Amino acid sequence: MKRKKLLAFVLASAMTLSMAACGNSGDPAENSSSTSQESSGSSTTPDSSSDQGSSQASGDASTPNGGGTYENKVILGDITEMSGDFRYPGWGSSSAGAADQAIYFLTAGYATQETNQGGAYVWNDTVVKSHSEEENADGTITYTVTINDDLKFSDGSPITVKNYLARLLATASPVAVEAGLPGTAGQAFVGYESFNAYTGTEAEGATKEFSGVRMLDDYTYSLTVSTDYYPYYFAFTYAGLTCAPDGLFTGDGVDVFDDGNGVYLSDNFYEKNGDSYVKAAEIVANRYDVEKYPFSGPYVISEWDASTKQCTMTINPEFKGNFEGQKPSIETIVYVKIIEETQLATLTSGGVDVLGGITGGKETAAALAVVDDVNFSEVHYQRAGYGVIEFDCDFGPTMFQEVRQAVTYLLNRTEFCQAFTGGYGVVVDGPYSPDFTMWKAVQDDIELIDYSFSPDTAKKVLEDGGWVYNSKGEAYVEGATGVDAVRYKKLTKEEAEVLDGVNKSYASVANTDGVTYQTVEVNGEYYMPLAINWFGSSPNSVTDMLSTTLANSSDLAAAGMVIRATTGDFTKLQGEIHREPSYGYGGTPTYGMYNLARGWNSAMYDYAFNWSLDPKYFPYSMNKLYDEYDKEFPYDQKAEKLTLEEAKAASGDKLGMDYLSMAMVYNATTEEEYNEWWMAYIERWNELMPDIPLYSNYYYDVYNSKLENFQTSPFFDQRRAILYANVKGY
Amino acid sequence: MGKYILKRLGYMVVVLLILSFLMFLVYSIIPFDRAVAEAEQYREGLKNNPNAVELYNAKVEELRRELGTDQNVIVRYLGWIGVAPINGKYNGILQGNLGYSYQYDRPARDVLADPMKNTIFINIFATIFGLGITIPLGIFCAVHRGSKRDTAIQTCTIVGYSIPSFITAIVFIWIFAITLGWFPVSGMKTPGSNYTGFAKLKDELYYMALPLIVMTFSSLGGMTRYVRASMSEALSLDCIRTARAKGLVEKTVIYSHAFRNALVPIITLVIGWFIGIFAGSLVIENIFGLNGVGRIYIISLTDKDFEVVLLLQMFYVITSLVGNLVIDVAYGLADPRVRVNK
Repeated sequence: MKRKKLLAFVLASAMTLSMAACGNSGDPAENSSSTSQESSGSSTTPDSSSDQGSSQASGDASTPNGGGTYENKVILGDITEMSGDFRYPGWGSSSAGAADQAIYFLTAGYATQETNQGGAYVWNDTVVKSHSEEENADGTITYTVTINDDLKFSDGSPITVKNYLARLLATASPVAVEAGLPGTAGQAFVGYESFNAYTGTEAEGATKEFSGVRMLDDYTYSLTVSTDYYPYYFAFTYAGLTCAPDGLFTGDGVDVFDDGNGVYLSDNFYEKNGDSYVKAAEIVANRYDVEKYPFSGPYVISEWDASTKQCTMTINPEFKGNFEGQKPSIETIVYVKIIEETQLATLTSGGVDVLGGITGGKETAAALAVVDDVNFSEVHYQRAGYGVIEFDCDFGPTMFQEVRQAVTYLLNRTEFCQAFTGGYGVVVDGPYSPDFTMWKAVQDDIELIDYSFSPDTAKKVLEDGGWVYNSKGEAYVEGATGVDAVRYKKLTKEEAEVLDGVNKSYASVANTDGVTYQTVEVNGEYYMPLAINWFGSSPNSVTDMLSTTLANSSDLAAAGMVIRATTGDFTKLQGEIHREPSYGYGGTPTYGMYNLARGWNSAMYDYAFNWSLDPKYFPYSMNKLYDEYDKEFPYDQKAEKLTLEEAKAASGDKLGMDYLSMAMVYNATTEEEYNEWWMAYIERWNELMPDIPLYSNYYYDVYNSKLENFQTSPFFDQRRAILYANVKGY
Repeated sequence: MGKYILKRLGYMVVVLLILSFLMFLVYSIIPFDRAVAEAEQYREGLKNNPNAVELYNAKVEELRRELGTDQNVIVRYLGWIGVAPINGKYNGILQGNLGYSYQYDRPARDVLADPMKNTIFINIFATIFGLGITIPLGIFCAVHRGSKRDTAIQTCTIVGYSIPSFITAIVFIWIFAITLGWFPVSGMKTPGSNYTGFAKLKDELYYMALPLIVMTFSSLGGMTRYVRASMSEALSLDCIRTARAKGLVEKTVIYSHAFRNALVPIITLVIGWFIGIFAGSLVIENIFGLNGVGRIYIISLTDKDFEVVLLLQMFYVITSLVGNLVIDVAYGLADPRVRVNK
């Protein structure tokens, strides 16, 4: 009985405690609510279903702000997770969180080169006093850069070239490799191999000096690019370095010297404890530091709350500006984690001031419903990228140009884009963004095939391409059933033998209707069916839409083609594309078509080696497309650098993808030449159609109208644009 | 009792080993190669290097050796536990290495520390509120069984029990955050605030309020019905009839006699609830953007950060096993008829 009494008492206590807790929870809610309304202009009753409601909501929101007394603070939100990895986001991994990167970008500045509004790399005139380049007799090129002598970190400590070179040297060293970095920084410079091999003791082929990197004085450095990396159109970007406070990338107490043979780090950098470098652990720990070391960017981190995932930044008073000398005016920036599904409500209730990159039909329409240019405004731009159908071009039906073109003709991309983006997107005909300066330069001259929806044209290109047989090697008859519902193509011996004869046993998979289409042998000849195996990631609305509009369309069937759909997770898709067994690839190429997306972070357009015929570059190949033109007129890096006109003449106007992509960056020396090569590359790509661009959607950035001068672009997102913005009244 | 607990602990170790191996096996056969993923940045950095492919392949092999993924699953499992060396080193759970998060690039233990605190913080309140409401409500319904109020409450609890928590969450967000503006839509504290002490607690509670309301609301149906059923059964016992026949006041009959008898089955659930405070809510934490273990669990699964997932699952296995033991022991303590020493 006593035990029962005890238990009853415990339960009663729990109830009492809960009542007490209930009582306490009321006050803060009320207090905080009013606080929130004051600071954010909340207390909304939005009705996203009508403009009236939106206007009402916005009107309410304006009430607390109407007095014109805004706080000089902006709350930015991101749906990605903040991890606290703000000093070097993505260290040692293939990807970095967007939120971490944004905070890094806002707190790390003074790179000698930055990207401008158009995505192009430009010299940072706030940092760089002068720069020059000189081609050397041995074919190398030396870039000499002098920085201004009045730059300071946020704690007032001066910035010298040591802050730039220490970071470069540390990240090129074996110590960085132990700390998790690839150690490939600086590989373009003369002397990289021997510096990278130096472990603290002199050895054959290893030197502590990085001979191609020089510290000429406290404010001048030079970098000599090796002949493996020069000539190269974007070679000047190698001269761009980023600074870091003393110790952040080297560990404390490490200094940089140059005795005339190249820069080197003091011996304590290579100090070992057993097999491990002592400094490696220190470097790793520094990644998450937000207090010990100062900042060089427009903002400093004043608080990082790992528990609630909020990062507060305040202006760095020592910051002199970005590449245009632009300084921030917004005193405080708070970065918060937002939830995609409720982000608009978070905006209208004041939980965040800017929502970036809203896309998709419903989402965009909902976002625009709150925009009234009084309380909420928007800026939009076309995404630097596009959704795409990617083909594997080295086996199966998709190895043939006419099949890829036919699929393109059979997909009504205009309707697809309209449906998927809700009208907030456009269709492009090649691998480019209309915001590229190259595109703007050549758009009036470029000649691209118009792949408008046309089932008749699809049939014609297939017939011209030899898809005129049935499974018995006889003429294809439209409307046939069973395995003869699709066209077949007679393979040449070469075509049958590709990839160890995979085409001889090619067959459709995921045959839900019970019909398996497979390559047949008739009288010693191989006939391949026009049945494409497609792998789409799931869940994915593009996969769903493609299934409806393409794979199951009557036009496709009428053209004598079948697309068999298989869905799975993105890792499996990657495994099939890269043919990586550890990602689920079974050892035999099966799928010839995938759907995914491509994008660009800058306008540095370089696809060299992506179309190489050399099998060793397979990991860099995007479509496994080996252009016939390249077999006839291959690119030789050691040969004379021809101009486009010369190359066209020499090849009989048959320049392949590898040649064009290589020459674009290794032959071009001026912007005009580069643009010419680029146009030829896009035209050839458009002809071969290794991918089908599906849609290039618009991104909408919706923001509280208390922000002024907030102008984003495809290559100039909110983390960059916020420097130019101000809060009304400031 | 002591012998019984020791015996159960022994069983628990065996179950733990079997489950841990099964879980490790499951994550080992998922097609994913950490070495390839980690080498991706290296591969990108090598572009234009004449020896790019050779260097990349060598890097992948080196990483596989370092990670131990070039070994078979048994060796890797033993290495994970810490009874076999990986790369010549014993560095597993027994040595204090609870795994590594490759997504966050830091020890899994560090990744889970803050989310676990947040989850416990909110779950304690949700549990207290849940019990505080459901127990009296269940008693009320049992005492007034068949009345209109009982019927109304039963209907509500069935409706509440049937609605998934994510629907409740969305509806409550729309009502209380968007329409009425009483609570924030998501988040864990006022952006940019730097409160301390009581002001900090108030701010946290303000942000926690709506998820807490949703969690409490979602849990009302089941527990209320359970308490009602248990109490109804207790009220029909002979001893209760005897108590009433003795002329005891109804309040005494209900709270001193019937509720004590009803407690025994409820204990199992109550202890289960308290053990559940360590388990994050996948739905609630994701909808409200709370940095809790449920959210980390989903993120880690999506990102194939399997060592974090494994650590979490191992933790849940241990808490479940310990919880069951505690429930059994408590059951015996509450009801002398139940003997737990065998």
